[in-house]
Amino acid sequence: MEVGLNHYLFVGAVMFVTGVICMASKRNGIGVLMGVELVLNGANVNFVAFARYTALGLDGHVIAMFVIVLAAAEAAVALAIALNFYNNHLTIDVDRGDELRG
Amino acid sequence: MPTESIGNELALLLGIAWLLPLAGFAVEIFGGFLWPRVSRTAAYIAVACIGIGFLCSFTALMKWGNATDWVVLKGTDSHHASAGEHGGEGHGDEGHGDEGHAEEAAHAEHAEGEESESGVHHDAVATTFSGTMYSLGTFGGLEVTLDWYIDSLTLLMFTMVTLIATCIHVFAIGYMSDELTEDHVDHEVHTADGGHFHRPGRFYKFFSYMSLFCFSMLGLVLAGNIFQVFVFWELVGICSYLLIGFYVERKSASTAANKAFIVNRVGDWGFIIGLMILWTYCGTFRFVGEESTDGHAAKPGLFEMVRGNDGQIDVNEEEDVVYLRDAHGHRLEDPETHEPKTIPYALLIVAGLGVFGGCIGKSAQFPLQTWLPDAMEGPTPVSALVHSATMVAAGVYLAGRFYPVFTPEVLLTIAYIGCITLFLAATIAVVATDIKRVLAYSTISQLGYMMLGIGLGGWAAGLFHLVTHAFFKSLMFLASGSVIVGCHHEQEMPRMGGLRRKMPITAYTMLIGVIAIAGLAIPGTVIAFSGYHSKDAIVATALAHTNLNPGHFLLFIVPLVTAGITAFYMFRLWFYTFAGEPRDQELYDHVHESPWVMTGPLLVLSVFAAGCAIGGEQGFLYSMLSHSEPAGVATGVEAAAVSLPGHDLIHDVHHEAGVMALFAAVSGAIIAYLLYGAHVLNPADIQRHFTGLYTFLVEKWRFDDLYDAMFVRPSRVVAGWCAATDRVVFDGILHGACRAAINISKWDRLFDEGIVDGLVNLVGNVVFGIGRSLRVVQTGRLRQYIMFIAVGVLTLFVLLFAFFPKY
Amino acid sequence: MSAEQIHSGLFALFAIIACGAAIAVVMSQNIVRMAFWLVMSLGATAGLFFLLDADFVGATQLLVYVGGTVVLLIFGVMLTASGPYIRIRMSPAEGVLAGGIGILFLAMVYSTVGAVNWENVSSAASPSGLGAGVSEGFNASSQGNTTRPLGLAFIGLRPDRDLGADIHSPLSTGYLLPFEIVSVHLLVVLIGAAYLARAKRRSDTVEE
Repeated sequence: MEVGLNHYLFVGAVMFVTGVICMASKRNGIGVLMGVELVLNGANVNFVAFARYTALGLDGHVIAMFVIVLAAAEAAVALAIALNFYNNHLTIDVDRGDELRG
Repeated sequence: MPTESIGNELALLLGIAWLLPLAGFAVEIFGGFLWPRVSRTAAYIAVACIGIGFLCSFTALMKWGNATDWVVLKGTDSHHASAGEHGGEGHGDEGHGDEGHAEEAAHAEHAEGEESESGVHHDAVATTFSGTMYSLGTFGGLEVTLDWYIDSLTLLMFTMVTLIATCIHVFAIGYMSDELTEDHVDHEVHTADGGHFHRPGRFYKFFSYMSLFCFSMLGLVLAGNIFQVFVFWELVGICSYLLIGFYVERKSASTAANKAFIVNRVGDWGFIIGLMILWTYCGTFRFVGEESTDGHAAKPGLFEMVRGNDGQIDVNEEEDVVYLRDAHGHRLEDPETHEPKTIPYALLIVAGLGVFGGCIGKSAQFPLQTWLPDAMEGPTPVSALVHSATMVAAGVYLAGRFYPVFTPEVLLTIAYIGCITLFLAATIAVVATDIKRVLAYSTISQLGYMMLGIGLGGWAAGLFHLVTHAFFKSLMFLASGSVIVGCHHEQEMPRMGGLRRKMPITAYTMLIGVIAIAGLAIPGTVIAFSGYHSKDAIVATALAHTNLNPGHFLLFIVPLVTAGITAFYMFRLWFYTFAGEPRDQELYDHVHESPWVMTGPLLVLSVFAAGCAIGGEQGFLYSMLSHSEPAGVATGVEAAAVSLPGHDLIHDVHHEAGVMALFAAVSGAIIAYLLYGAHVLNPADIQRHFTGLYTFLVEKWRFDDLYDAMFVRPSRVVAGWCAATDRVVFDGILHGACRAAINISKWDRLFDEGIVDGLVNLVGNVVFGIGRSLRVVQTGRLRQYIMFIAVGVLTLFVLLFAFFPKY
Repeated sequence: MSAEQIHSGLFALFAIIACGAAIAVVMSQNIVRMAFWLVMSLGATAGLFFLLDADFVGATQLLVYVGGTVVLLIFGVMLTASGPYIRIRMSPAEGVLAGGIGILFLAMVYSTVGAVNWENVSSAASPSGLGAGVSEGFNASSQGNTTRPLGLAFIGLRPDRDLGADIHSPLSTGYLLPFEIVSVHLLVVLIGAAYLARAKRRSDTVEE
């Protein structure tokens, strides 16, 4: 069996969907962040796969680099937000932060 | 030309004196913003303005004298001599009939020519200057200009008005000082809760009004055409309205201000009619014509038109048409038709009466005298200014200035009006007890004297009395103001008495004024107060007039008797107030002499009141005045109906009249002393014996009642009818319209509430309901939101594949 | 074993690890274990990158993600957890619902992605005038490793595009400007993060 583009895309889709489910189901704020990382990674797999198998070329690599770097930055900011959340609610359970309820 | 330059110089000086108070007014009226309420700056500015005005006026007087080489004073002798010499003949010619009359007229013309030659043209010095400052515009044939007209009368009036006004301004600094506060309590105004009315002091406002008053009066005197006179005439009226109503919160003061203003309007109505007639027929408002370059008057003024160059009215044979003439006596012609320009004699009389009607209103003469006593509601300095130098003087001044336009019939009316007024007012003054009201009635009475003098042909005598009266009446008013301040605003004489020990300066300056107005003198010496000379001149004119016209003897008897009454009530006032024992000990204990700022002006004025007329008919003042006499006055007029005496006739009876007047005055003074000074007779007894007469006089001859019945009540009835019409007709229409509008509005409201509001509310409710139902979704939970996103994306793609499977 | 088979085997290995670890992250209830499975998943992804000839991206993935971000997350866990074995459970019903939606989502995504013929799309999307070899994609293994081309691309030279292109066609743009913008963006973000993390304490000191 020759490994092709679609296989990689399947792996990316699995990671993406897992990340979304992780975001949607984890009550722990840090877990939600991990879900975000998974989503970004799934997308990254797609980019690199497209770079290898289509005319995207180096662009895919560069975009993947940007995504990685921005994910790092996002993680730092999100962690700061999580810390503030923890300071305000004395827990990291995101279900407790329902101030925006209509 | 030197005469022109001196004329312009005089106009400049008097113009400065005239406009400075206006500038002062413009600054002072903003005093409330510029200075604190306790600042006297406004007063200092006002005094400075009017004081500089006095210096300018006096300088102008001196310049005029020097420029004319004092021809006035030197000319007096020759004037009298020629008049006397000539008048003798005129006297002899009396009763020669028509022929003699014509001869006399011709002779008079000749004499006038001589006179003008010796007096003016011989010396080649002009004494009368006129010109135009500014032309406001030309409307058809009417040119509205700002003119000036300067002769010795103008100069004297300027000097007199500014001098007296300066004294009054200085006095007012002291008198009005209780206004120098943020919180002035008016003890005569009671508020609803029983307290007194509080308001900020209006010191600066008082002085700004005073400045405007002086400006108006000076403008009136300087005016060179009758229209300009009218403008300043009304300005004077406005200022008097503002100042009489100065304590506007007092009901009596605001009523008095309204009364003064409305009564004056009655007179001004006549004034306007006179103006319209004169303009219609003469086509100009100017007093004298404009000298054009080629030497003859291109545009003759009113005086020359009516009187020509010889002072006579040019009447045709039927005596119903007057020919208008130019300054050289030639009849004017219409440039197109070459018809002579004329004015109907009857209309000339109406014009004269109309203009005099204005003087009646302003000078408070017989039918319209009621406003002046009520004008006492204003502050005392205002009374002094109104009564001496400005308002009432304006009427007499205009009567004198406009003398050439008055026909003999009008002059006779003036004389009788003056005669009635002087008697009426004097009798009321006898029973008045308010110190200011006594002075007010005496003013009316003295104004009657002036009008009488002018009406009888004693032109200079009337204006002579105007000037002397201005001095002693302002003196007496200021003295009474000093008394009122000293007595803490008590004005009733029966509560005073013995004040001379507490306020000697006021008392003795007042005594000088009293002696002056009473006209006392020591016969045979030069010691004579000003009132003696001026009143003497009027009485002498009256006597000469009566000799000429025996039918009008009342015009001599009444003034003579009234001279006695004048002396009586004036001395009564002085004895009541200053002599004897205090009647109200509590009041007396609190009396104090006024500060120097108030007594100083009294001293200055008392000097002038005593001495301004020194020398009598040979003196400076009279000579100056008689120099401005309209042409023809000096020689008198012979006519079938009423003859006017010339100077010579008056001069003949002068001593006789003087003795009679002095006798009347002395007897009046002695009676007053007996009744109020020595208490030989008890005035209360006399009062009881003549209760009816006394009440009649106290009620001022019932004039107010009469006017009330004649004018006020009928107009109220008419107003009642009008009100009823309003109520029934107009209110009905209005109410119907309102009801219709209300009904329409009700339907409109139903529509609005039911349909428009319903629709709007429906939309709002639907949106609100949707929002409320969607609110449930907004749980605020992060995880649910993410789930929603996932489900949403899923649903979208399912839909996409279901409906657009190819893409 | 041919290179093809080795590639397939390695792909299967890394793909299973990456997907399995990702699913384990979802299934695990312990936050520390979640972090461990996340490291596994990201590391396997880096392996996939290597398989795709993207050696520089893979290295960055390992360094930044596995080495940096995950450490950061673990610090967050340590800072926020009251105890080392904290468990915040979700209800089973939620789990079933999430699983169902996840499977549906996956089916949707993969059916969408798999429906596209990528050969056609890439040739349609590629700029005109490119050589046939370029339409095959950028095969880094035939041009050495990707570090040098990436560096050149950052300074504006595109060896994958401009080599052999028509001399009259315009040159491609490089990534220098986006790179600079991103670097400044990163700086701002990091400062902001530091500020946010410190804000509470700072306000306390002010209040004291």
